[in-house]
Amino acid sequence: MMGRLARLSFNGRRAAGSALIICGALLLVVSLASIARGAIARDAARARWAEIEARRSVAGARSSTPGARWSDARGTPIARVIVPRLGLDEVVVEGVGEDELRAGPGHMIGSALPGDSGTSVISAHRDRHFHALRGVAVGDTVVTESERGTVTWTVSRIRVVRADDSALDARAAPTLMLTTCWPIRYVGPAPDRLIVEARPVTN
Amino acid sequence: MNSLGRAALAAMLIVGAGTARAQITTVVAPPPKKTEPAQQAAAQQREQAAQDSVARVTMTGMKEWVDSASGALAIRPDTVPTTADTALSTPRAATSASPQSDSSATARRSEPAPEFRSGTRAPDTATAVPAIGLAGVALLLMGVALTRRERARVRVRR
Repeated sequence: MMGRLARLSFNGRRAAGSALIICGALLLVVSLASIARGAIARDAARARWAEIEARRSVAGARSSTPGARWSDARGTPIARVIVPRLGLDEVVVEGVGEDELRAGPGHMIGSALPGDSGTSVISAHRDRHFHALRGVAVGDTVVTESERGTVTWTVSRIRVVRADDSALDARAAPTLMLTTCWPIRYVGPAPDRLIVEARPVTN
Repeated sequence: MNSLGRAALAAMLIVGAGTARAQITTVVAPPPKKTEPAQQAAAQQREQAAQDSVARVTMTGMKEWVDSASGALAIRPDTVPTTADTALSTPRAATSASPQSDSSATARRSEPAPEFRSGTRAPDTATAVPAIGLAGVALLLMGVALTRRERARVRVRR
């Protein structure tokens, strides 16, 4: 009787161990698949950006029209954001939906393009494209490339707000806002948002 | 056909009328009547006049549609424009809701994302991927530890 109970207990623990291994492996696969999809989407966005830039340079050489208009469909690369000190160099896609943020930082629809007058909002995941923003400081240089040309910005303000705060305001002057979740070095829910504001460098 | 057969046929018709309604209500078109050449010419004229009026109505509707759509729709070709089509330039806010012509794989529609207005919240950039991965690693390690422990116990007993 005792031997049978011990055997049953052994089998139960063994089955539990196997179940844990299977569940863990499944969760890992899901996580890795999401990361792989993001990497593929990011590569696709970069390739598309290179193609757009090439076409734009050809068009610029052919005509005297300053700049060429690009498509602004969701998921289409529309800009590039670089923070040299942090080694951040990402292609920005249009839209901030789940699919767009998987491919790269997203430009909030309705906000200005970097270089236009008004507020331009670019958002990305804290654990992927904007992970480098954990080290951002006031005075850092940010460079954006878009159909409006290349603009150099200086970080003027860094703030952390609650996720449900109405923190993004439309301004008349050119303003760049980079947003991501806060805290950056944390796995779990993100109750706050990091907002990095930058103003164009005027020569 | 004897009376029994006729009765059976009548019963089948009555009972089957409900289910075979389509068969019973089938309309057989009458054969086309031969018309005189003068009548044919008059019919053609009437048809021509009807087509002309339809065309006028359609063109009027098209004009209204174009007039109304010119303010709402945007033409943002994915191709590089020439100097001549700079007049087609429209504000970005108006183009954001326009139909998309981009056929690239990256231009996918997703769930409605927030659009920028003054006082907008920062987009939800939180993702559960790291937490899912961490949970997976934790479960995997727990499972491996449990299995090894049981094997060690069995070896000690033996």
